[in-house]
Amino acid sequence: MKDHNISLELNHVSKSFAKIETEEVTHALQDISFTLRSGEFVSLVGPSGCGKSTILRLVAGLIKPTLGKVTVDGQEIEGPAPDRGMVFQKSTLFPWLTVEKNIAFSLQMQNKLKGNEERVNNMLEIIGLQDFKDDYPAQLSGGMAQRVALVRSLISEPDILLLDEPLGALDAFTRMNMQDEILKMWRRGKQLAMMVTHDIDEAIYMSSRILVMETNPGRITADLQIKEDHPRDRSADYFINYRNTILRKLHFSGSDKTA
Amino acid sequence: MSKSAISQTDGSPAMDGLTRSQLFDLERRVKTKKQVYFDIFVCFLPLLAGAVALLEYLTIPDNSPNKNPHVYTVFLLILVVAYGIYALVSLWKKSRGDNHATDLLRYRAPLFTGLFLLLAFYDYLTLKTGVLTQPFVPCLNFVANAAWNDREMIWNCTVHTLWLLFLGYFIGVGLGLITGIACGYSEKCRYWVNPIIKFLGPIPTSTWIPIMMVIASSLFGGAVFIIALGSWFAVTVASMTGIANVNKEYFDAARTLGANQRQLIFRVAIPHAMPSILQGCTQAMSSSCTSIMIAEMLGVKSGLGWYMNWSKSWASYDKMFAALFVICLIFTLVTKILDKIKSHVLRWQIGANA
Repeated sequence: MKDHNISLELNHVSKSFAKIETEEVTHALQDISFTLRSGEFVSLVGPSGCGKSTILRLVAGLIKPTLGKVTVDGQEIEGPAPDRGMVFQKSTLFPWLTVEKNIAFSLQMQNKLKGNEERVNNMLEIIGLQDFKDDYPAQLSGGMAQRVALVRSLISEPDILLLDEPLGALDAFTRMNMQDEILKMWRRGKQLAMMVTHDIDEAIYMSSRILVMETNPGRITADLQIKEDHPRDRSADYFINYRNTILRKLHFSGSDKTA
Repeated sequence: MSKSAISQTDGSPAMDGLTRSQLFDLERRVKTKKQVYFDIFVCFLPLLAGAVALLEYLTIPDNSPNKNPHVYTVFLLILVVAYGIYALVSLWKKSRGDNHATDLLRYRAPLFTGLFLLLAFYDYLTLKTGVLTQPFVPCLNFVANAAWNDREMIWNCTVHTLWLLFLGYFIGVGLGLITGIACGYSEKCRYWVNPIIKFLGPIPTSTWIPIMMVIASSLFGGAVFIIALGSWFAVTVASMTGIANVNKEYFDAARTLGANQRQLIFRVAIPHAMPSILQGCTQAMSSSCTSIMIAEMLGVKSGLGWYMNWSKSWASYDKMFAALFVICLIFTLVTKILDKIKSHVLRWQIGANA
């Protein structure tokens, strides 16, 4: 497994979108700056429309910043590449390919499949779906599909793993299991993981760092480090304290309501 | 985690490795004796009806002269024997534990019964009573005789029709795929092709036939052009919409996985649009079948359509009907093959629809 040691920097990044059929412009992100390094698990939380996903799409290279620079080790991001893997909220497994071929997709696109077939098998083994390798995505449950999507991005051993609400469409139990599985995989590779989530508990449970965001225009209002050991206890005092802190930042705490 | 571990819910080991047909057998409703006897009776009905058809043909005196009467007898006998063999094979499969075959036999038996009764009834109306006047609506013995006596010519015509059909169809589908995919993908291509489609779209392909007869140097070439045009149109429209409707998320995902522009087209857009493309291919086939018949009846001097028209002008209505049956047979076959290809290519969709 390759060693990841990179730093991702957003340098005064702003991103605006033109609205359809009006002259107005939405400011999705305004003057965002931060630096992240390999080994960090960073969650972005905040109300919808605060530009969480926009940050991921910028890092993925799917869109370009309006102002500022997104760099990896000083190199500006030119476009999408398999060293920045992304998992989407909706399962984007290709329905016409079997589970095995979906996982192999990235290697095949880079003409690296020959000689690396056992990597596909390894990935199937990691998620425990060897028996499903010839099944099509439509035959999988939501949790299985997201596990496949996860290893599909991981097979190219990306330096940065981007998770855009990867568990948003799953039920509560599957979701908690998947949180542990994602952590397990992240610990194996120690890449930089960036996750967008609406679920504050999920962010506290999984992350080493949480960026709290605010909307209109999208900006970062808090940057929390969480140093507790895994697995974390969802009912421990520190957990509740972090939750209260974040809720307060998002103006959802009890004191705000009475004020 | 394995598949069997998932399907196994209460931990009973007997359920492990249960196959689909075994499951259906387990949950099958137990039939009463009466029902079983009734099922067996229904499965025998086609043989009975076949006997009725044979007796009707052989015993009732003919109303009009009937040459070579044995041809139809042999035809009926072949049908009856074929059903008998089919029933026996199903029973043999049942004896080996496969209930599906006999279920299917039971399901189809009433239809076969109906077919034999229809044959008997038709023969009664035509040959035996002349309610349907001979030779305008020929009895099946006439048709069978005509088909047999003129087999060489019918065969040549069939080959000619198929050659013309496939030549036009594949040219049209090939070009349609190219323009459709290009237009689905590139805005510029759509800009130029869309007006052509808008202009040609409302014109039924058969409208071109008289024009072709005037300007084409060979009628064969003209017919190929017309068939190809119809297919091209259907496939272009279908694959264009198919490609244009690909979810953007698939492109995003593919790009983050390292796909380049060419791979986005061939590995994502085209497979995603496949259901739509194949739908277009089926439509193209039905349009081709229509066009080829019209072309052969109006201009081309060979093929089954021409043969039908030619027989009509010689008042050989039996030959006309023989050609009709051959046309029905080959078009059914072609459609069947297309369906088979479609369900094979789109096997990934089966789970999605369930």
